[in-house]
Amino acid sequence: MRTQTAHTTPTRLDLTAFANNTGITTEDRLSDGAFNIWGNTFPAEELPAGGEITVDGIPFRFPAPAAGAPDNVRCAGQLLELPAGRYDWIHVLAAAERRTEDFVQLHYTDGSVDPEWLRISDFWPQTGARFGESAAFSCTRLHYPRHVQRSMGPTIWRQRVPVTRQRELTALTLPDNPAIHVFAMTLAPTTPPEAAE
Amino acid sequence: MTTLIDDVRGWRHDLAGCLHACMATLLEHRGVAPLETLGAAWRFRHLPGDIRREEYFYPRAPGESLLGALAPYHPVRSVWHSPADAAEGWAQVRAEVGAGRPVAVAVDNFELPFRPAYRDVHSNHMVIVHGFDEDAGTVHVLDAIPPHFHGDITLRQLTASRDSGNAAVHDRDMFFTDVHIGNRWLSVELDANPEDFPAFDRPHIRDVVERNLRGYHEPAQGDGYAGLDGLTAFFADMGKRLAAGETVRDELFVVAGAALANTAVHADWLALAGRALDHPGLTEQGRAVERIAHHWSAIRIMAALTQSEGLGAARFTRRAHILLKDLEQVLAGLAHEGAEL
Repeated sequence: MRTQTAHTTPTRLDLTAFANNTGITTEDRLSDGAFNIWGNTFPAEELPAGGEITVDGIPFRFPAPAAGAPDNVRCAGQLLELPAGRYDWIHVLAAAERRTEDFVQLHYTDGSVDPEWLRISDFWPQTGARFGESAAFSCTRLHYPRHVQRSMGPTIWRQRVPVTRQRELTALTLPDNPAIHVFAMTLAPTTPPEAAE
Repeated sequence: MTTLIDDVRGWRHDLAGCLHACMATLLEHRGVAPLETLGAAWRFRHLPGDIRREEYFYPRAPGESLLGALAPYHPVRSVWHSPADAAEGWAQVRAEVGAGRPVAVAVDNFELPFRPAYRDVHSNHMVIVHGFDEDAGTVHVLDAIPPHFHGDITLRQLTASRDSGNAAVHDRDMFFTDVHIGNRWLSVELDANPEDFPAFDRPHIRDVVERNLRGYHEPAQGDGYAGLDGLTAFFADMGKRLAAGETVRDELFVVAGAALANTAVHADWLALAGRALDHPGLTEQGRAVERIAHHWSAIRIMAALTQSEGLGAARFTRRAHILLKDLEQVLAGLAHEGAEL
């Protein structure tokens, strides 16, 4: 007899404990963050206020911007413990400083580990998706430390990572790639017929 | 007098910068296919001491032009023109544009109203000039780097940007400041008619793949780092210096930026070649080269973080090692596909 945790609805992850970068600012506190190395940030006024949101029908827990507080995870090889379960996809809201790709390492209860690709396009304005992502949030303006640039806006992408192994997933390790920033992550449960195995 | 050169189009690659953009525009205007020309050569080269504080930096050997370094397999080169002062600088550009030849000019973003850095951050950038209206006192400028701009600014503004001292003022003036812009401008020279350029066909593509492989595998000539061995040595040197507490940010960032652009544009060249020859294996190798570019994206940001966030030698060295291993695989894959052509 096999025992496993059956998730029937998407699991929104709370990344607050891993947030290590401030990528969202308000117009009155432009220099409180630095999404990229030049100090640019996303405009809080054009993003969700935080909490539960839905993008393309997928629920996420979006970070609540707070003055100067970290709101995204700049990837540095962090290990994220997950609610054990059978999943098909890991959906992410993310953006990169120049497009890049890397492996996330998926850990399963049986001890197996699989690398899977996490591919994220550039957040920079007027730059399209190169990995087939959808634009979760396309802003109309970009924050600089001392001014607001209203002629162009950055993008947060919705991307997904496959969970190919039909076993219980328990953890994932993010890549050590500081160009990738993750704002939110949701685990999509396995769909039938695999869920019924 | 009013002059506007038609058929001057913007070109941009998301992992390259203003140098590729400007050279592509000028080549295309002369009837030369940009990607086929700029994307052919793929190599690693770094000459210590040759780090120039300009967004349009690209490593080049002594006597080699910027465009010649970008496109060494084609009969193209660029010429820097260094006028004595702003008046001569405009007179030269005016004459060139008046003769129907658009040019690339070095500018300081701080002085350009369409740049986000306007009145904020100094940076040594490059844009295209292809028209002017002396009655209105304006010049027609093309900048394909976001925010895309194609329109008029005043000659006074252009002159200020070309004659700027580009001073480093605060901590956001990183990498591309503190060197006088000097009113310099760049022309593109073709040493053959476009119809006599290498055809984008199987023999040429095979030749390009072979030359690139030789460049990575042959011992470096002269000073500096070149090829696979040179890149290995460069990364080892960066790691050692980082571990010793030396500042490597600027050198590593600028070298990574040039390598990123070269690698990413070549990846697109391979994809184009694979489609042109209906050779899927070549397109797949293009995707593998793109993966190397994505390593460079990470290395470039790591370089910046060595200073601002104390990113250490261990993290950098680990990433560099993975890049090298992947690069070896890509070179082996290209050798296989090249032999199939």
